[in-house]
Amino acid sequence: MNVLEIQGLTKKFGNFVAVDNMTLNVKEGEIFGFLGSNGAGKSTTINMISSLLQPSAGEIRILGKDSRKHSRHAKTNLGIVPQDLAIYDDMTAYENVAFFAGLYGLRGKLLKERTEEALEFVGLGDRAKSRPSTFSGGMKRRLNIACAIAHKPSLIIMDEPTVGIDPQSRNYILESVKKLNESGCTVIYTSHYMEEVEEICSRVAIVDHGKIIADGTKEQLKAIITDVKDLSIELKPGSAYSLQSISEIPGVRAVNEKEGRLSIQSDAAVDNLNRILKSLMDGGAEVKALQEEEPNLETVFLTLTGRSLRDQ
Amino acid sequence: MNVIQIAFKEMLLSFRNRRTLFFMLAFPLVLMLVLGTALANAFSTTAAMDTVRVLVQDQSSGAAQQGFAGFRAEMEKSGFAFTDFKPGMDGAAEVEKNNYDDYAVVTNSGIKLYGSDRNAVASNMTQGMLSAYADRYNAAAAIGAADPAKAATAFQPAPSGGYVKELSLDLDRMPGSMDYYAVALTVMIALWGAMSAANLVNSEIRQGTAARLVAAPVRKGEIFAGKVLGNLAVNMLCVLVVITFSKVVYHAYWGDNLPLVLLVLLSVVVLSTSLGLALSYLLKSSASGGLISLAVQLASFFGGAYFPLGVVEKNSLLGIAASLSPIRWANMALNNMIYLGDNTQVFQTIGLNAGLAALLLAASAYMMSKREGL
Repeated sequence: MNVLEIQGLTKKFGNFVAVDNMTLNVKEGEIFGFLGSNGAGKSTTINMISSLLQPSAGEIRILGKDSRKHSRHAKTNLGIVPQDLAIYDDMTAYENVAFFAGLYGLRGKLLKERTEEALEFVGLGDRAKSRPSTFSGGMKRRLNIACAIAHKPSLIIMDEPTVGIDPQSRNYILESVKKLNESGCTVIYTSHYMEEVEEICSRVAIVDHGKIIADGTKEQLKAIITDVKDLSIELKPGSAYSLQSISEIPGVRAVNEKEGRLSIQSDAAVDNLNRILKSLMDGGAEVKALQEEEPNLETVFLTLTGRSLRDQ
Repeated sequence: MNVIQIAFKEMLLSFRNRRTLFFMLAFPLVLMLVLGTALANAFSTTAAMDTVRVLVQDQSSGAAQQGFAGFRAEMEKSGFAFTDFKPGMDGAAEVEKNNYDDYAVVTNSGIKLYGSDRNAVASNMTQGMLSAYADRYNAAAAIGAADPAKAATAFQPAPSGGYVKELSLDLDRMPGSMDYYAVALTVMIALWGAMSAANLVNSEIRQGTAARLVAAPVRKGEIFAGKVLGNLAVNMLCVLVVITFSKVVYHAYWGDNLPLVLLVLLSVVVLSTSLGLALSYLLKSSASGGLISLAVQLASFFGGAYFPLGVVEKNSLLGIAASLSPIRWANMALNNMIYLGDNTQVFQTIGLNAGLAALLLAASAYMMSKREGL
């Protein structure tokens, strides 16, 4: 069963088309990764699903019902974890969760139970009476999640929920997402951290220029690029070389450099390793290590969009 | 239910905000104490009543002349000294030279008053007395026109069967400095509600919570109503605290009709909330806060919150600025009601405030409905 169905979704801001005739389905029980660089149309799509923006054209169906015609039904079944923190600093953690859960119709004992449950779930049960102004960034992010789950939605949209937090809180959040999914909740997850998406998502869509350019399981996406090999070359500090001359070698599709490590994508069918090494050494560079990497989502993204996601 | 919940949240956040508590409670109460104490002599009632000297040029005739003569005789018992205008005199110049506090020209079609800024309170009282007399005369004239036989009895005091009950001429008291500032500063903080109202929507956008509110199964109208209701409740509670404190601690006089006083103040609070909200939608940025703050300060200044304006020339710059200030409208209405028993201006002020507020709220609701998000 599809929890979310998007058909021909379009959003225009004046002459600019932010989302262009997008079609997408998210099945019940999935953790669906939504990948795209800044300005790709990812947030605009999420905002339309969340009713923050009205589509210029197209249809969004949540649990089989049109989200505009059955707005209340759609909203009740949706939980939103916005990228920017959406909590009140002058209300305690408990008051924050209870206020938002109350807007979903929870009252009295049930409201109290669900609020406490949500806070326990994100590990803030012992800080229920504290105000977020006394929280670390990671704790605020967790409270942001608690505010979205107390009403037990069928579909949760998490927009970059781990931005700017410490590794411990990130792990906690990733584990929480998995637990939520195990409890029967469908999750749409966006992140700039490809390894997070790789770790938790069962299916991934890549958005570019307002369109979905690839959609499938991680394995299906990686299979798209069997004709590409990914070389990682570590150079000694101070090595000189020309990215331009490497990119001009036949078969080379893209070259990126980060912290003394070259990442080269090349046609798998073209044997050009010797020419790449020669080009480096002719420039005076000294190779410290070389390895051919297994394709990952980063490689897929780079191949399909020509850009690295994390460098956006 | 959602409306109540949102309103309660607004109240909770407002009362946890130290700025709200300072500006809406501590500041007016301290200012009341400082101004009320420092300017106590300027409001001395004995001095004012002993020295209200009014130069009168009576050009009226018939019933109007008779009526004014009776009024004059009554007023002279209450400490007003009337002097007849003599040919060759320049009434306005006499007031300017401080030979008289006020100069009144009485004709069959009305009374013109030239007031003095030297004793604003005395001039205010003269104006109030003359307004009350004019109202009474007009009412009696209307009765006379309908039934000439009753015209004579219409001018008689109420206990002996007259048709016009006069409440204002038997002046029991005049406002002391603390009484004046209690009213003026309470009206001022009622208008300050515009500043918090301007922040109602912007604060949700700034905190990111607007996204969560719009994504929840709550209609925009409910969010709007909850926020307006919350802001009204917060400001009205602040007004109540200031009134109670001024009454109990400063012994400020609020008259005998507190419910009507509260109704006037509620109308100012409703107007200020609507104004703040409408401007915040119209300007769509944080600039609205600064603009509203400036407008409210100017309204406070020209409305007599910091010093009594007294009688001002209608067509002068000060007069125009004062006439545009809701604080001035409410101040005059409340003082006339409290000290003269004249409610005419009270109902006019409530009507004007409510009308403007309805227009502004409708405009805000329309702009909100057209906007994506909040």
